[in-house]
Amino acid sequence: MAVLEVDGLRKQYDDTVVVDDVSFDVAQGEIFGILGPNGAGKTTTVECLEGLRVPDAGHVRVLGLDPHRERAKLRQVLGVQLQKGMLPEKLRVREALALYRSFYRDGADIDRLLDDLRLTEKRNTAFEDLSGGQAQRLAIALALVGKPRIAILDELTTGLDPRAREDTWELIEQIRATGVTVLLVTHFMAEAQRLCDRIAILDRGKVVALDTPGGLIAAAGAQQRVRFRTSESFDTAVLERLGEVSEVRAERGEMVVFGTGDLLRVVSTELANHGIAATETRVEHATLDDAFLAFTGRAMDAHENV
Amino acid sequence: MQIEAARPGLRSWAMMVGTEGKLVARDTAGLIVPLGLPMLIMVMNGLGADGEGVPAFNGLPPLDAYVVPLTLVMMIAVIGVVNMPSFLAAYRKTGVLRRLAVTPAHPIQVLVAQVVVSMIQAICGLIMALVLARAAFDVSMPRNILGAIGVFLLISVAMYALGMLVAAIAPTTNSAVAIGLVLFFALLALGGGFGGRDALPDALATVGEYLPYGAGVEALSATWMGVAPDALHLGVLAGTTLLAGALAAKLFRWT
Repeated sequence: MAVLEVDGLRKQYDDTVVVDDVSFDVAQGEIFGILGPNGAGKTTTVECLEGLRVPDAGHVRVLGLDPHRERAKLRQVLGVQLQKGMLPEKLRVREALALYRSFYRDGADIDRLLDDLRLTEKRNTAFEDLSGGQAQRLAIALALVGKPRIAILDELTTGLDPRAREDTWELIEQIRATGVTVLLVTHFMAEAQRLCDRIAILDRGKVVALDTPGGLIAAAGAQQRVRFRTSESFDTAVLERLGEVSEVRAERGEMVVFGTGDLLRVVSTELANHGIAATETRVEHATLDDAFLAFTGRAMDAHENV
Repeated sequence: MQIEAARPGLRSWAMMVGTEGKLVARDTAGLIVPLGLPMLIMVMNGLGADGEGVPAFNGLPPLDAYVVPLTLVMMIAVIGVVNMPSFLAAYRKTGVLRRLAVTPAHPIQVLVAQVVVSMIQAICGLIMALVLARAAFDVSMPRNILGAIGVFLLISVAMYALGMLVAAIAPTTNSAVAIGLVLFFALLALGGGFGGRDALPDALATVGEYLPYGAGVEALSATWMGVAPDALHLGVLAGTTLLAGALAAKLFRWT
């Protein structure tokens, strides 16, 4: 059953169309990613789901509710982490959680939540004195304090160090295990690939692809690469005539074989058959980055990175 | 599962007021205006006044019947029109209101908490200023004390309503302070805050009397003298509250 429904969503500011005919459904218990560079319309899309913006056209439902007209109901079941959105400087961590907990009919155990997000030591620290990562973890805690059925997390791990990032990913998986549906907005490929069941790639306000991470990579036709070195040059035609191989290229003294299927095995066998000794052989699988590049014609990293 | 709409209960409202109170107490610099300024204005106005009763003020000295009410109105005007909107504008600017907008708490809860906490500070400032006036200048208490309390509360809500309007239309924190100050000084000047309305041209003095500041001073002065406040003055205050409050509610942006 779809708990989030977006159908033909359109939103423009002045003359600029920022979300153009976006449609997707998110199923109960799913971790769904919206991936795209800045300015792709990700945040506007989720703001329409959160009831912060009214769509110019299209149909948006969260647990069957109209986010704008039925916001009083929606607020009880939707947890939101905003990309911007702050607390008063002098407010302390535990006070903030206790205050936010008081808004909800049913809510999480605050001390447990502090523990889960490794904020227990910082519970009496003022918001202004938190590091970027701590403030980010508090933002996540605030999104979860009302025991939401759906959590929308915008740029979840921006500003976190690798360890905190890994911890946060594990936490999101735990939250999902309790039946919470998670909508994740990100421009961070590794995060989307690691967490999401399905991903919608947004580019210039449109959904350019929607599938599982594996499905996106496959659909993009992104190929594996086998890299190796040889002590002497050889005729690359021996590899090029293999069915699995699409291209053989020399790069910085290395041979790179592009292709599909069981590429590593067939290449190794063929090299051995011709008595060519290969060293430093390794295989590179296609990633979501390759898929993103294929769908948008641009590398995400060219825009920005985390 | 049935989803029910639920707004936070009384406990949550109390918690919001308590939280705002703690934040105010931690911001020591922010306490100077509501607590220190009233005493300062009282001293400035009290020095150089003599204690002679005059018939025009029902036998009370001008200090008691006019200067003290003027000072109290000045103080609540500064807090309501300049001080409070600057906090609200900062909350909007830093996204505090936006974050609350995606919780079941209506951001109105923040506004109410702000006004309650601000009022508590203002009343503390007022009591300190009155005690000082009593001790240093032997100022008498209002003859109609209940009336004075009622009129003061009415002036307060009128000033806070104006403050809400300032917060509603100001795009940034700095502009909230600027608009608030301009409005405050305009009301103050026309209301007789700079040497009395008598010093103004007749037309301006009349206008000033029926603006919230002048009307507030007149009504509060009446309670000191123990006479009934002019209904028109009270009407101006009530009208200001309704008009500015309704406009603020219409124009207020949470983000």
